[in-house]
Amino acid sequence: MRSISLFSRSVVRTLILFLSLNLIGLSVTFAQSAAEGAALFKQKCTSCHALNQKVVGPALKGVHERREEAWLLKWIKNSQAMIAAGDPEAVKIYNEYNQSAMTAFPELSDDNIKSILAYIKEEGDKPAAAAAGAGAAGGEAKTEEVSNLMISGIILLIIISFLVILVLNRVITTLDKLFKKKQGIEEEEEAKVAKPSFNEQVKAFTKNKKKVFFVVLILLGVLSVVAWMGMWNTGVHQGYQPVQPIKFSHQLHAGTNQISCQYCHGGAFKSKNASIPSLNVCMNCHNYVQAREKYNGEISPEIAKIYQALDYNPDTKVYGENPKPVEWIRIHNLPDLAYFNHAQHVQVAGIQCQKCHGPIQNMEEVYQYAPLTMKWCINCHKETEVNHKGNAYYDKLIAAHEQLKKGGKVTAAVLGGLECGKCHY
Amino acid sequence: MESNKKYWKGLEELKQTPEFVENSKNEFAEALPIEDVLNEAGLNTVTPRRDFLKALGFGVGAVTLAACQPAPVHKAIPYLIKPEEIVPGIPNYYASTFNGHSILVKTREGRPIKVEGNPNCLLSGGRLDAQAQASVLDLYDSSRLQAPVLNGAEASWAQVDSFVKGELSKIKAGGKKIRIVSSTVNSPSTKAVIADFTAQYPTAKLVQVDAVSYTGIIQANQNSFGKAVLPHYRFDNADVIVSFGADFLGTWISPVEFTRQYTKNRAAEALERKKMSRHIQFESGMSLTGTNADARISLKPSEEGIALLNLYNALGANVPSKKLGNNAKADKAIQLAAKELLNAKGKALVVCGSNDVSTQILVNAINSLLGSYGSTIDLTNPSNQFAGNDAEFVEFINEMKRGEVDAVFFLNSNPAYSAVNTKEFTDALAKVKLRVSFADRQDETAALCQVNAPANHYLESWGDSNPVSGYYTLVQPTINPVYNTRMAEESLLTWSDAAVKEYYQYVRSNWEKTVLAQSGKTWKDVLQTGSVYMGAAPAAAVSFNRDLNAVAATIISESDALAKASVELQVYQNVAIGDGRTANNPWLQELPDPVSKVTWDNYVAIAPKYAEKLGLNEFDLVEVKSANYSVTLPVLVQPGQAAGTISIAVGYGRSKAGKAGNEVGKNAYPFLTFVNGTFQTTAAVSISKVGGTYELAQTQTHHSIEGRNIIRETTLKEYLKDPHAGSGHGAGHKTYDLWNAYEKPGQNWVMAIDLNACTGCGACIVACNAENNVPVVGRDEVRRRREMHWIRIDRYYSFNEAGKSVTEEKEIAHLEDMDNVSVVHQPMLCQHCEHAPCETVCPVLATVHSSDGLNHMAYNRCVGTRYCANNCPYKVRRFNWFNYWNDSRFDNYLNNEFTQLVLNPDVTTRSRGVMEKCSMCIQRIQAGKLQAKIEKRPLKDGDIKTACQQTCPANAIIFGDGNDPNSEVSKALKSERTYYVLEELNVQPGVGYQVKVRNTAEV
Repeated sequence: MRSISLFSRSVVRTLILFLSLNLIGLSVTFAQSAAEGAALFKQKCTSCHALNQKVVGPALKGVHERREEAWLLKWIKNSQAMIAAGDPEAVKIYNEYNQSAMTAFPELSDDNIKSILAYIKEEGDKPAAAAAGAGAAGGEAKTEEVSNLMISGIILLIIISFLVILVLNRVITTLDKLFKKKQGIEEEEEAKVAKPSFNEQVKAFTKNKKKVFFVVLILLGVLSVVAWMGMWNTGVHQGYQPVQPIKFSHQLHAGTNQISCQYCHGGAFKSKNASIPSLNVCMNCHNYVQAREKYNGEISPEIAKIYQALDYNPDTKVYGENPKPVEWIRIHNLPDLAYFNHAQHVQVAGIQCQKCHGPIQNMEEVYQYAPLTMKWCINCHKETEVNHKGNAYYDKLIAAHEQLKKGGKVTAAVLGGLECGKCHY
Repeated sequence: MESNKKYWKGLEELKQTPEFVENSKNEFAEALPIEDVLNEAGLNTVTPRRDFLKALGFGVGAVTLAACQPAPVHKAIPYLIKPEEIVPGIPNYYASTFNGHSILVKTREGRPIKVEGNPNCLLSGGRLDAQAQASVLDLYDSSRLQAPVLNGAEASWAQVDSFVKGELSKIKAGGKKIRIVSSTVNSPSTKAVIADFTAQYPTAKLVQVDAVSYTGIIQANQNSFGKAVLPHYRFDNADVIVSFGADFLGTWISPVEFTRQYTKNRAAEALERKKMSRHIQFESGMSLTGTNADARISLKPSEEGIALLNLYNALGANVPSKKLGNNAKADKAIQLAAKELLNAKGKALVVCGSNDVSTQILVNAINSLLGSYGSTIDLTNPSNQFAGNDAEFVEFINEMKRGEVDAVFFLNSNPAYSAVNTKEFTDALAKVKLRVSFADRQDETAALCQVNAPANHYLESWGDSNPVSGYYTLVQPTINPVYNTRMAEESLLTWSDAAVKEYYQYVRSNWEKTVLAQSGKTWKDVLQTGSVYMGAAPAAAVSFNRDLNAVAATIISESDALAKASVELQVYQNVAIGDGRTANNPWLQELPDPVSKVTWDNYVAIAPKYAEKLGLNEFDLVEVKSANYSVTLPVLVQPGQAAGTISIAVGYGRSKAGKAGNEVGKNAYPFLTFVNGTFQTTAAVSISKVGGTYELAQTQTHHSIEGRNIIRETTLKEYLKDPHAGSGHGAGHKTYDLWNAYEKPGQNWVMAIDLNACTGCGACIVACNAENNVPVVGRDEVRRRREMHWIRIDRYYSFNEAGKSVTEEKEIAHLEDMDNVSVVHQPMLCQHCEHAPCETVCPVLATVHSSDGLNHMAYNRCVGTRYCANNCPYKVRRFNWFNYWNDSRFDNYLNNEFTQLVLNPDVTTRSRGVMEKCSMCIQRIQAGKLQAKIEKRPLKDGDIKTACQQTCPANAIIFGDGNDPNSEVSKALKSERTYYVLEELNVQPGVGYQVKVRNTAEV
């Protein structure tokens, strides 16, 4: 018995060992294929499918339970063929989704598809709550809107008061010394006498015209410097970062997702206005990109604002009658007296957006990067060489200028880029 | 060539009146109150300490506030769903139609901001007149009705529809008449709609009446050739043109088309061929056409018919006639004209502005004799531009009086203003049960109607037009209705329960059935090109064989009746306001009359000698009295006006036109008389001084040129002998440079203006207003010489005596004949001088020269010293005394949210206190250059057109690159006729003028 039990124990042990080993191995392979599936799912499926809700196609959670694997393999590779062949299930689902055909994926191998299914299974099994949490943590960090001017003003005030105290102290000591010098012997006695009160000091100070003049002069100097700086910066709103009605992140769109600027701001290449994209451009992606995974299965509140503005119901996919435009706050306010044309700079000169708008791809919230002062414009026009290669428009001009000034740079300024009427009319 | 000929802009300049001399010394009409400040009181004022502290405190506070301004919050609101064709910042152009002329409408972000001619247009060839240019402003007119009105209260369209339909069904049951009163309808679709309406309500009938009527010509053609049509005149085929009071370059039938045809035979192109047509004008008031004539002879209205009879006889006919008693000059001219006409047989044209049937029959006879039919007059392919029938309208009033009419609809017509007897009309109208007006505003007639169903502006409408036979144009909307209005046709379709109530569908199916089916074009083609021309049938020559004895008798008796009057009145349309429909358009009100240069008013024009005889001075108020009407208007002394006559323009005196047009001038329509079935524009009147004066806002002597030699002209004979005649053989002025010469390696923008082409119509001024946001300043400010137009047209008079121009000043003093003047029109704008005097005096460098030859003006740099204006020899700089676009005192212009939509977003609205002037449409130059850069190609000649050049019906203005030897402008400037105004000053202007050539063969 013992031996048997021993044997069985060993067998059980080995079995357990084997099984557990096997299980580990299995789960490893499973995890691997799920990871591959996740990548494939993002790449191939997300434009039409989500796990938990209908997008263009059905929600995929639990699809492995609803359908045979073989059927799914066939369907994903070429759904239209199945429909044409009259597969009843295929025809049914085709009709259910308004006969919108699913893209065929002949390039996916069976293993690929299986890994996608594995991913769906794994994701579907996770409790919904786990997906949340990440959200909400992001925003709400209110930007401090204390203007630079105020800060520098306070600093200046502190410096000034410090200086005043310093000067006063010096004055007191010199007065003291003087007094002592004059009184000579009486020094000791006088020392016993109470120090003159603050009021008396001030009085004495005010009687000394030279000192008063000196202080007033310094004060005037400081004030005029402050005023000068203030006036130079009047109307310059560098760093201006208003709170926008939708927390649109350029960091996410232009930075992480690498969406080309032109996709949304196409006007910059054709027109004077770069133009804020109309919401139909947003809807090209946000029709299905809803960032639910970050918001506990709910649509991102910021994306919901797009739907709200368009009066669009994401569940029924119907546009309502009461759209309301989004009122963005303009960040770059070039005065009306200056004419600026994006197409000239972006399309013709080939200047990168970042040159004026800064590291836009890193901006969570956009702020005014450049000062937009005329000095700033002019400096650039003085330095920037004209992008004339391959542009027949410039041929004659360049030829003439090359003749004129051998060797020098042909900058925008050389071609009349500093003339008033080029920007002011 | 130094010319001694003396030119003058107005009688005050000629006579050097003290006021004129005084004014001409000052750049600005009113002195600045410097004296007040510097006089004793000003200097002695003690500023109390408290006031000083208050001011100081306020100043510091204001500066602090300004410095601490928070970042501005400007909203940027993108489209929700952007229409595919719109790119914000880039204009879209749509083809549409104005008054039968195919146009292109420039829209920015969905709002029309400018109207431009469509180069495909058969009539205009891409050119437009002032009214078309100004029409875009009417779209945003805040005086338009903003919703339908039912019985005096604002109503919904459903209420209006149910009311009108209810009334109509009652009227249909009653069987009484329904009348649709309209100005000429030449739209095939509107006609079809009216036909549908008539089918539903069989008692309905269309009555066409034009405020200024051409019934005389139409009836005469019916009488002479059995065709009740307005012929299509071809001035381009005429070598000799004789006009009797027809202002065909200004207002008569189709002025843009005629201007284009006319200049073709007279300007640069014709002179190259050593040819020039000859134009003789007989008229009583000085018209735009008269100013352009080679020979102009003053004629009383009563003499017009007689002169025509004499001409007919001189051409070889024999009809009863009469001597032109007191007008020996006209008599001589008639004989001469007859000779010239006969020489040009088959290439001659006689036109007459009279609306009298007999006179027009006589004109037909003359033209038939000259073989004009088939060459200069096309009866086979007639014009549909006017088809009104005066007699029908008079009959309509009688029907109303008799109580036979139960419903009346007013479409594009306003008889309560333009009827001869407004009281008779108003009383008769009161008897009609259902009165509906489609007017876009509550005008004089609409105010008398129960229902105002405001129609859309044409830029908001679908529609079509068939202005001349075989030529169809499409009206396409370019904006959603600005107010709650509805197309009149749609209203009619709704009320007649038509199957298709949407007018777009209606027009489209109508076109697909007719024009598109015949031409093989598609709807999309037409939307793009705007018009379809089916070609013209070859014009057939027709023969005239009517007995003219009865006609001659009528003419003589009418003439006798008129001649008995103490004063003969000629009622006319002026170029800007026309028949008064556009009276509420401030651009047109401020457009100076091409001849008198008066803005914002009409007046009594009277000859200088005659005024002297009657003891009248300029601006005296006089009462003009006819048998049943009288008005009090100021006198304008007009050289060239026939003695014993006065002229008054119609179109003024509107009482319900809107903010800008109300009570501007006086109504002259009631002076018209209904004689022999047509409304005549002449009347027997008497005038009497009523005391008091009224200063007309006249621009003519503003910007005086101090008698310098700036106009050059020659005669055709001289020109043929020596093409340099007049221009002074390329001047030969020495040029000096104080500064290093500036290289212009790119473009050198220059302009050429042909004085021989320019007719002075003023279309360029309005085009410039629209393109460059030039403000309207109003009558009072014009009186103060503060008009803002960047381009003006200077009109210079000079004397002719016995065939030679008068040169010596002392001769002028003895001249008796003040009527015999000739006129030159000279467009004057910033000359963009190479050595610009304005640039050197600007203390802040606000105006500087560019490397492409332009004189830039940086408004935001200008501090308003006005030194530049003082130093400009051409007087083309304008100072902004107010924020005209945002100041409640200038209430007739941009001070409401609607009208501001017309502003060109590419051009700054200038603020108070800065100078402005012509920029040669720099925004267009920059846009053209950018387009070329984006397409990576060199600029082509013609890529960039200035607004004035683009609209000029005479093609008098050519703009382009002077560095390109093959450009149009370089070729034009190479002409022997080219001279530069004031070139002796060595300012080296960028605008060259071509000498005026007159074909003054023998007069």
